[in-house]
Amino acid sequence: MSGVARGTFRMPLRHRMLYAVLMTGFSASAAAQAVDAAMLQHPPRDSWPGYHGDYSGRRHSALTEITPSNVGHMALAWTYQTPQTQVLKSTPILVDGVLYFTAPDLIWAVDARSGKTLWHYTATQNKAFHIGQRGVSILKDKVYYMSSDAHAMAFDAKTGKLCWDVVVADASKGQWSTMAPLIVGNHVVVGASGDFDNLQGFIRALDPETGATQWTWNATAPAGTKGMTTGGNVWMTGTYDPDLHLMFWGTGNPTPVLNGKIRPGDNLYTCSIVALDPETGKLAWAFQPSPHDTHDWDAVETPVLADITFAGASRKVLIHASRNGYFFVLDRTSGKSLLTTTFGPVNWTEGIDKEGRPIPNPAKEPAPDGRLIAPDEAGMTNYRAPSFDPKTGLFVVSASPSYSLYFAKPADGTYGWAGADYNLWSKGVLEAIDVQTGKIRWSHELGRRAGAGVLTTDSGVTFSGDAAGNFLALDTASGKTLWHAGTGGSIASSPITYELDGHQVVLMSSGSVLYAFSLPVSAASTPNGHTHVHRRPAVQ
Amino acid sequence: MRPMTTRIKLTCVAVVAAAYPVLVATMQAAPQAAAPQSGKPTITVGSQGPLPVHATFTKEQINDGSGLFLQNCAFCHGKDAGGGESGPDLTRSKLVASDKEGEKISEVLHGSRVGKGMPRFDLPNAQVMWLVAYVHSQQDAAMSQTGDRKGVDESDLHTGNATLGKAYFEGPGGCTRCHSATGNLAGVATRYSGLKLEEQMLYPESSKASVSVRTASGQSFKGPLEYQDEFTIGMRDGSGTYHSWPAAAITYTVSDPAQAHVVALARYTDADIHNVLAYIQTLK
Repeated sequence: MSGVARGTFRMPLRHRMLYAVLMTGFSASAAAQAVDAAMLQHPPRDSWPGYHGDYSGRRHSALTEITPSNVGHMALAWTYQTPQTQVLKSTPILVDGVLYFTAPDLIWAVDARSGKTLWHYTATQNKAFHIGQRGVSILKDKVYYMSSDAHAMAFDAKTGKLCWDVVVADASKGQWSTMAPLIVGNHVVVGASGDFDNLQGFIRALDPETGATQWTWNATAPAGTKGMTTGGNVWMTGTYDPDLHLMFWGTGNPTPVLNGKIRPGDNLYTCSIVALDPETGKLAWAFQPSPHDTHDWDAVETPVLADITFAGASRKVLIHASRNGYFFVLDRTSGKSLLTTTFGPVNWTEGIDKEGRPIPNPAKEPAPDGRLIAPDEAGMTNYRAPSFDPKTGLFVVSASPSYSLYFAKPADGTYGWAGADYNLWSKGVLEAIDVQTGKIRWSHELGRRAGAGVLTTDSGVTFSGDAAGNFLALDTASGKTLWHAGTGGSIASSPITYELDGHQVVLMSSGSVLYAFSLPVSAASTPNGHTHVHRRPAVQ
Repeated sequence: MRPMTTRIKLTCVAVVAAAYPVLVATMQAAPQAAAPQSGKPTITVGSQGPLPVHATFTKEQINDGSGLFLQNCAFCHGKDAGGGESGPDLTRSKLVASDKEGEKISEVLHGSRVGKGMPRFDLPNAQVMWLVAYVHSQQDAAMSQTGDRKGVDESDLHTGNATLGKAYFEGPGGCTRCHSATGNLAGVATRYSGLKLEEQMLYPESSKASVSVRTASGQSFKGPLEYQDEFTIGMRDGSGTYHSWPAAAITYTVSDPAQAHVVALARYTDADIHNVLAYIQTLK
């Protein structure tokens, strides 16, 4: 298949039609795609049915039509101008040729061929934080969404009609929501955000038909429990291993955020990666990237799953580049550390303990006269998605080497933020980390701190973006730029790719606009008679 | 100069300011000069000077601004505008203090600090004024507060040893390669104070890089770097004319003196920072 796909750039019409027929057979795109457990485990080429695409969080696509040698010809297919000004942070999902994507309080269902709006939803005005919305999920005939004020809602995927609406967390107390739910079997799994109040973080499974709570796993003790931390909010979509039947989630920082004095100890399970049974919410294991965090370093960055040979043995690993500046490889059957190293300047630890966890240096806790901390609070990386390329064994992450000052004093109190921190300097760099060693194989400078996530493909192309608003296509093996397009906007989302009508599409957003790119198709090769501009390939 | 004034009631501010314009102007020029060298006052009643002078806003504007602020601003700047995730404490902002009726705050909202991480917000003018009203009300409230105030005070930043700081400045810090206490840093502690002085010392955000360019046809240009990404270099020549080129089509060298500060960030201990700050604080 991939051999045929590679040749499509100038493929004669007959071959193209044959290819289309083959593709139709391959992905059953003519019939409606049944979004069920099997489909979510093995998404067809013409879909991107969940936040991470598939369950692994690798954001690595098997598509190979766009290659390092032809990506330089990639051209704009269409844009979708959302009628609002918030920067898009969502990962669109694609099922049956329909894209579903979001901004805070807004959902759109859009024809992936024409950009025609099929339905849209506008939430009721509310006072919750509107800092971002990362996307919706789908199961069978329903689309699942988290509102800014932490309601989980289900909509009819065809019409946008509201099916149910349940309150997941009390926004009036200070929690809000940005995440795309994770669908596993018969469970819609969600969490909430909240750093400005001392609240209990949780993961909750809801019934897809009714929204009824199936189980709740609490990351921390109820607010007000003496000597115990609050926090551990879960605000990014987890990953799932069907073989182990375990979900993997990252939890957020403890509260009060910068004042650790009233919450002695490790503060489990904050800043942790937890493995949960999707049926019961029971904890299988936990690993804590940031014990006793006092710098707001959530461990919610994608827990990426891969089955690789590691140190000579076949391993089911979990790979995590954490906001605190550390890169972890774990055995995901047990949660045991295989590798712990840094991926940029880090100055807050006294070393690594025997379990592979960084040991926080008490002298680097925020203080009345300030402490110099690397990385800064936004972290060495953040919500922007990384990608793992199995062929090269490279984990590509948008990183931000950075320094900051952290302050906390008695007048800052013991509630919510409880201190102040100020970034001094940061930059953006795309890093390709060798998962075997943790060594950085290549670095691609991005200027200032960038907001784009990463996508890799089987053909060896890496897609991302820089701080100036350039979409980038790089050679995964070397990090060299192969293609770029300036957007003049702020890129704050992660690219996706899928096949539509037999051709690979790369979808990215910048500012409030979605951009779809593909290889140019000549008028002669479009079977439906539409006139397309034939773009003469640029001279390499 | 921690003023000996008694607490001024919020409602009287405009009147007081009108009556004592000179006093207000003086305070705005040097609001935090000469803090005590050690310890901090146990109570700071009225210690923050007369409240800033600004337009009068209605309760409705402030209330509407509060909702809008929660939605759009509170994550970074805190629910009370006193600082949150990555955004500064607006109640201590000089820009806010010098804004009269939104003329400065609206510039920031409309994108004047995008390069420094502050996103652009496209809001109707009425909503911009709601935010302006709310931010002013929060600054007024914070400045009229009694007791220790949260956030970073000038008096928190006097824990270093100026003698050791001078030795570091002139020795291992390598600061004298570019700076001199009697030259480019003379009087720096009168231009900046408190946290702002420390931030400037650690990384001078406003410092500009310059670039030397040689084009394929052999022309040379030198001047402030105005734009740089992987693909384009933009600069201004001596006459103020803007030029840009594809980065790949020219040879160029960027000179960014502030990079020396980034190198220093990797070397400082916290004691070094506090000592050098103590020394810099003497450069009046």
